[in-house]
Amino acid sequence: MDSEHPTFNQCLVLATALKLLLIPAYRSTDFEVHRNWLAITHSLHPSKWYLEDTSEWTLDYPPFFAVFEWVLSQFAQFFDTGMLEVKNLNYGSVETVYFQRLSVIVSELVLVLSLRRFINIQSTPQAKKVANIISLSLLLSPAFLIIDHIHFQYNGMMFGILIFSLTDALNDNLLRSGILFAILLCFKHIYLYIAPAYFAYLLRRYCLGENIWDIQFANCIKLGVSIVSIFGVAFGYFAAIGQIPQLLSRLFPFSRGLCHAYWAPNAWALYAFMDRVLIHAAPRLNLNIDTASLGSATRGLVGDTSFAVLPNIPPRVTFLLTLVVQLVCLVKLFLQPSPMRFIGAVTLCGFASFMFGWHVHEKAILLPLVPFSLLALQDRRYLGAFRPLAVAGHISLFPLVFKAAEFPIKSAYTILWIMVFFMSFDTVVPVAKSQRVFLFDRFEIVYMTVGVPLILYTELFHYAIFGSRLEFLPLMFTSAYCALGILGSFLGFFTLYLTS
Amino acid sequence: MAPPSSATAHKPRKRKRHVRSYSMQLPSKPFPLASFLHPFRTSSMKRLVLPTVLISAFIFRWAVTYGPYSGEHAPPMFGDFEAQRHWMEITIHLPISKWYWYDLQWWGLDYPPLTAYHSWLCGKIGSIVDKSWFALDASRGYESYNQRVFMRATVAVSDYLIYIPSIVIFTKWYSRTTGTDKYDRYIALATLLASPGLIIIDYGHFQYNSVMLGFAILAFASFLADRLLWGSLLFVMALSFKQMGLYYAPAVFAYLLGLCVSFGNGGRGAGDDEEGSSNGGIKINIGGLLKVDVQTLALLGITVVSTFGIMVAPFAVFHGEEHSAVEQLGQMVHRVFPFARGLWEDKVANFWCATNIVFKYREKLSTAALQKISLGLTVLAILPFCLLLFLRPKKRLLPWGVAGCAWGFFLFSFQVHEKSVLLPMVAMTLVVAGGLDRDLLSWIGMWPLLRREGLGLQYTVLTALWSWLLSLHELPASIFAKALHLGVYAGAITLHIAELTVKGGVVERFPDIWVVGNVILCFGAFSCMYLWVLYRMAEEAGLLDDFVIQQPSEEGEKQRLKKVE
Repeated sequence: MDSEHPTFNQCLVLATALKLLLIPAYRSTDFEVHRNWLAITHSLHPSKWYLEDTSEWTLDYPPFFAVFEWVLSQFAQFFDTGMLEVKNLNYGSVETVYFQRLSVIVSELVLVLSLRRFINIQSTPQAKKVANIISLSLLLSPAFLIIDHIHFQYNGMMFGILIFSLTDALNDNLLRSGILFAILLCFKHIYLYIAPAYFAYLLRRYCLGENIWDIQFANCIKLGVSIVSIFGVAFGYFAAIGQIPQLLSRLFPFSRGLCHAYWAPNAWALYAFMDRVLIHAAPRLNLNIDTASLGSATRGLVGDTSFAVLPNIPPRVTFLLTLVVQLVCLVKLFLQPSPMRFIGAVTLCGFASFMFGWHVHEKAILLPLVPFSLLALQDRRYLGAFRPLAVAGHISLFPLVFKAAEFPIKSAYTILWIMVFFMSFDTVVPVAKSQRVFLFDRFEIVYMTVGVPLILYTELFHYAIFGSRLEFLPLMFTSAYCALGILGSFLGFFTLYLTS
Repeated sequence: MAPPSSATAHKPRKRKRHVRSYSMQLPSKPFPLASFLHPFRTSSMKRLVLPTVLISAFIFRWAVTYGPYSGEHAPPMFGDFEAQRHWMEITIHLPISKWYWYDLQWWGLDYPPLTAYHSWLCGKIGSIVDKSWFALDASRGYESYNQRVFMRATVAVSDYLIYIPSIVIFTKWYSRTTGTDKYDRYIALATLLASPGLIIIDYGHFQYNSVMLGFAILAFASFLADRLLWGSLLFVMALSFKQMGLYYAPAVFAYLLGLCVSFGNGGRGAGDDEEGSSNGGIKINIGGLLKVDVQTLALLGITVVSTFGIMVAPFAVFHGEEHSAVEQLGQMVHRVFPFARGLWEDKVANFWCATNIVFKYREKLSTAALQKISLGLTVLAILPFCLLLFLRPKKRLLPWGVAGCAWGFFLFSFQVHEKSVLLPMVAMTLVVAGGLDRDLLSWIGMWPLLRREGLGLQYTVLTALWSWLLSLHELPASIFAKALHLGVYAGAITLHIAELTVKGGVVERFPDIWVVGNVILCFGAFSCMYLWVLYRMAEEAGLLDDFVIQQPSEEGEKQRLKKVE
């Protein structure tokens, strides 16, 4: 079956060429964040890493990522030592830009390798073909292009590790899967959101036998020792010098608001949108308006969000909602464990935390998007649930890259990706075993048709009509629109997960 | 558009000299570009092929715009970007009578009128967004983020309104003429779109070459579709956008003249199967030997003259008080064709610069004499192509003739600019629509060294990508061509590496050494391309049939097939 054209490597070369051309493109403050981390890890002793606060972008990723930055800095010194000084805030020499951009491109090889492995473990030619298309869709995903190669982050590498881990789980190599996930957690703690799925699955399939009461002690010890030693390696040093509280306060800054400045497209975005609408309807409905909070949801940067008409949401509500959804799917996973259902549970854990979480960032959409991609071609029903997420998830990333010069690239690339891959998905996806759940495809068509004029409005016409006034309006529309699609996708997939 | 009547009348050629189709050979080992289009052969994906190719091309084109434009942050004079911006500024603020006169020291307008009209349109639209971008005099050297994006966007829009449709239409008609498979046609289209030269100059360096080339290619496509009058109109528009289009003009003229004139019974006749334009009309028969289609000839003449007339009429009508209409037109011609300048301005990879290293022309000959010699040599260089097109005005020969003619001009004519190499290169790339074979891909793939200041990244990435997409490491069949290609690539790579690494010593004594090396290398490569175009055109015209008659063609075909597989 080497007659697949274009081959995986050919796509890789083409994508790399584009990424190289994007080196001089817009980059967000995350570029400076990572430069600062390079400087911190290179010039300071590890005991100072989590104390240093010259720059406002302090180190707030777990130790493995800090070590990764340290490794990068060993190469960085051959490019330009200027970027390795903590005091050089906003340093951006040509060499620095090239080095940091190239480091993203090179580190993305982890993703490439993990996708190749995902193809290789498939047993039948048909499954290989499907896996090939899924892998290509992830390799060429606009999400990675926008977040990693324009906005600037290292998600390609992180999700590469996650896919390695998921692939091991598919292959029933559970110990390695667990180890890889523990390593991933020590790189970036956002993956804690999907940890419950790992916990339930490893417990059920690895630590317990066919019968729930048949505890596999040897396995428990193997897994336990490996995970404890990984965390020991990562955090042991900081525990020894008594910096764990400081480290945790960096990793989990709890003093933030419900919504980010730009509302991540989740349930709270819809809630906030409804609140904004109700402000205008309130006089007619005789509702009380909390005038003090009129501007908060649209203006506040990383402050607290409060609502004018609807009741405010305390953190424990978001926590509770997330927990309930996650628990439901974990119970199902625990009762009927299978590799595919495990990936489904990972997806749903990501979904739940994205939909109901506290202060969710829009980049977190990758958390459900990537594992869902691996499942999308199970049959037509899954694909139907996947498509709104693929559309909304990518569009919701547009505000990350808000400069005019990048508008053509991000929109053209996303449209191309949607066009080519939706069509390819259609050609390989098997027919569903049972009937479709509800009129999901109709919703999908309407949803996608609304998308195009909306993007045109939010990206072009709004500024032509209003100039710089009402700046929050396009963002609000984008986020409400995307939230609707993601919600639809979530509900569709949740139903499929529970009924299949 | 035109009905496909001529296509149905067309008979496929009986003999094919080269393996022209990759469609049947998959999944053997085609070049990556063909591989990328492979999924689009199935019926469900077929309708996506054109959008996919065009959008991908756009993504790469736009990605090049992140590089610096010519003269970015480079006062006092800035560069080509400022020239174009300045023309937008003067055309929207000044009356038409001042366009070719206003402060000529600061990037005075020196392109034909259509460029001025195009600038006016862009300037008007830009002024709606922000007036300060094009404020008269005050905006000289103006640079801002939004203005830069706007200017880049005007290039992209012009490109996608004119050049891109033109190559889509051209590939359609040329592949019909030559009987090329539909799948191969899209590969050819993608090849044309991936060609790095035009992208680097227009989207990186900043110019609007694609408009002129687009009009010219639309003209060629019209000729292929038997729309001679539309074709000549479009060709005149190309000329009125950029005088460089004249490189193509002799070939176009010879082709049209050849269609109107036919010889009694010899050579080719009105019955030639690729002919569509012999549709009655008035004909003058001279002594039974020479038939002249006077009607077509007259109509063509009227079209050309009136199109030119319309283009320049506003300058003559609104000539203002200071100058008469004649003075206005005279000034335009003077600005567009600066004959007073020397033989060359820059180090260009043509005959003059290359041989100047040994023979110092300017010391030994006067400018007037040089002009005459250069004219003579140019005429000599383009003559074979024009004669071939005149005697055998077949559609499949048209792009070859045009390409050869442009090479002739580039190599030998007067006042050549480095960027003019786009004309022969683009014309030469057009022939891929007539079928793809290894030789052809190798030859059109040979990249000229079009590196521009500050665009090193874009140049390297696009050129490497192009070489990879066409698998240029697979060399042509003949030993001589193999050696030549290897030599050129080795030379080019060595030059680039040496330029980056070697410092001091020789470089300090001869600061021009890299430029000169570049000129010599490119001149060698370009001359070979010129000869190769001549050879292939003669072959296409059937002139070489007599010499290779011993070789059984079918055997050769099979052998080639095997080789490619």
